[in-house]
Amino acid sequence: MLMATNAYLAPHAGDPPRSILRSLLLTLPILLWSLLMFANPSARADRLSHIAGAVTALFMTVLFFQMMRTRSTYRWRRIFFVSLGLLFPIGFIHNLLVMRGSMGIPVEEMIAGRTPFCFMPIPFLILPAAFTKTLVFPGSIASANHGIASMIGLWLALTLVMGKGWCSYACFFGGIEEGMAAIPRRAKIRNIDPRWRYLPWAVLLAMVLLSMALFESVYCTWLCPFKAVTEYIAARNLLGLVQNIIFILLFAGLVIVLPLLTKKRTQCAFFCPFGAFQSIFNKISIFEMKIDKDRCHSCLLCQNACPNLSLSKESIARGETLLSCMKCGACVDACPQHAIVWHIKGTEVAVKPERARLLFLYAAWAMAVMFGGSIIAQGLAAILHFVI
Amino acid sequence: MKLRATLGYTAAVLTVLAALLTPFLLMGLFSKGVIALGLHVDEVYSGGPKVRSIPMGAYAIDVHRPVSPHLLQSARPFVQLDWTPVSALPPRVSDLVDVDGDGQPDIRVSFDVPGDPKAPLRVDVDSLNPRYEAMRNAGKEKYSRLIVRVDNAILVRVPQGKP
Repeated sequence: MLMATNAYLAPHAGDPPRSILRSLLLTLPILLWSLLMFANPSARADRLSHIAGAVTALFMTVLFFQMMRTRSTYRWRRIFFVSLGLLFPIGFIHNLLVMRGSMGIPVEEMIAGRTPFCFMPIPFLILPAAFTKTLVFPGSIASANHGIASMIGLWLALTLVMGKGWCSYACFFGGIEEGMAAIPRRAKIRNIDPRWRYLPWAVLLAMVLLSMALFESVYCTWLCPFKAVTEYIAARNLLGLVQNIIFILLFAGLVIVLPLLTKKRTQCAFFCPFGAFQSIFNKISIFEMKIDKDRCHSCLLCQNACPNLSLSKESIARGETLLSCMKCGACVDACPQHAIVWHIKGTEVAVKPERARLLFLYAAWAMAVMFGGSIIAQGLAAILHFVI
Repeated sequence: MKLRATLGYTAAVLTVLAALLTPFLLMGLFSKGVIALGLHVDEVYSGGPKVRSIPMGAYAIDVHRPVSPHLLQSARPFVQLDWTPVSALPPRVSDLVDVDGDGQPDIRVSFDVPGDPKAPLRVDVDSLNPRYEAMRNAGKEKYSRLIVRVDNAILVRVPQGKP
């Protein structure tokens, strides 16, 4: 009760905007960071890449300014995230076509250890590496370009900072389905059995055990929907053809059709084993979302807004989100009572929540500029190369 | 409660610092940590370490340590041989190879070397030792049974039979 009387109202998306000057001041660190990340005159890049970098720096800074000015996180973050999801395949495929002439990865490249390493197989590498010191991935460990060690290093740093915020500020796959989920005005499928949210854990467990038993990253070989828009296995025989058909069907179903029908990130919520794995790291993240129970009217608008089914009636009653929360801010923006807030562990709930939001956003947006921004710039450069 | 809040804010500020240090320090530090673990890529992909080289005049055949797949792994045991450099190979290679180093040839490997590096390769392997399986007109069907060109080498993987 004391908390309810002392807490000042959390700044909210519906509140009057911050002054332009104050918003600019709050954006200044991100502007400087963006310039540091993208305006490197010594980098050996062509003119179009420099233009793409400058546009990206401006884009990321403007989005952050809007977050500060409007106090809304989700809708501006979504613009970044959808751009990331759409531009990643463009830049990646452009690179593949320039280097290799094909999206299909031939066995020669795997044997040479030149398969680009993405973060998805990380959970499946752990057990074989722990027991046999072997990495079951046809890549290179020390290579600076898409090497296994550099990607794991980056993932560790990002995870330390954001926990499962990775899935909202760094994952270059989630943006496509978030974009798809944003298209329809209303969801055609509304009543989703909450038990579906356990499926990613089941997929994670099955894939970890199978990868250990068969000594290969089974998820990458058979189930990754994003192979359809990145780098598929060159179909040398019937088996390869079947694998590619599975990739395309999973992509079409989980990333295109179901998000359109449910307005949810269905691949993330119902399938992604990496997302389930990443949920564990929400435990070590200092930032989290909390619900001020005194202010909450249990209208469940937050539950409807959550793209990842990370809120349930029970968790709302407990005043917290579920472990799978991606810290996207959709629930905060949706709550008319200002009951859901950004929170720093150890502090009182709903006391200076904007301070918690700002600290989280500075950390998350710095990472987003560095990692996602470089991917956006690469995609833009590919488009510029194609158009000009 | 005040101490907990102070610790919380301190950790939050440190997290922001960690984010700012990531491209300059943290990422490299973590990457070096992963490299220091001494992990290696599965030999079914890498072909295993090179154990000796057989000079053949202008070119050489590098013999790798035999690779034994893990328990339920789908690949079969194989040994990888590299003909290198490709630029020094004759248009048709047909070499007797002492794979196990006992002074006796174990297999004869024959393949054409096309001028176009992207042209498909085919290999015939005649077995002179039952430990190594013969192959006819093999391409790149399986990790344990293939011929491929990787950079300046032609790699042949010969499946191992029962001794």
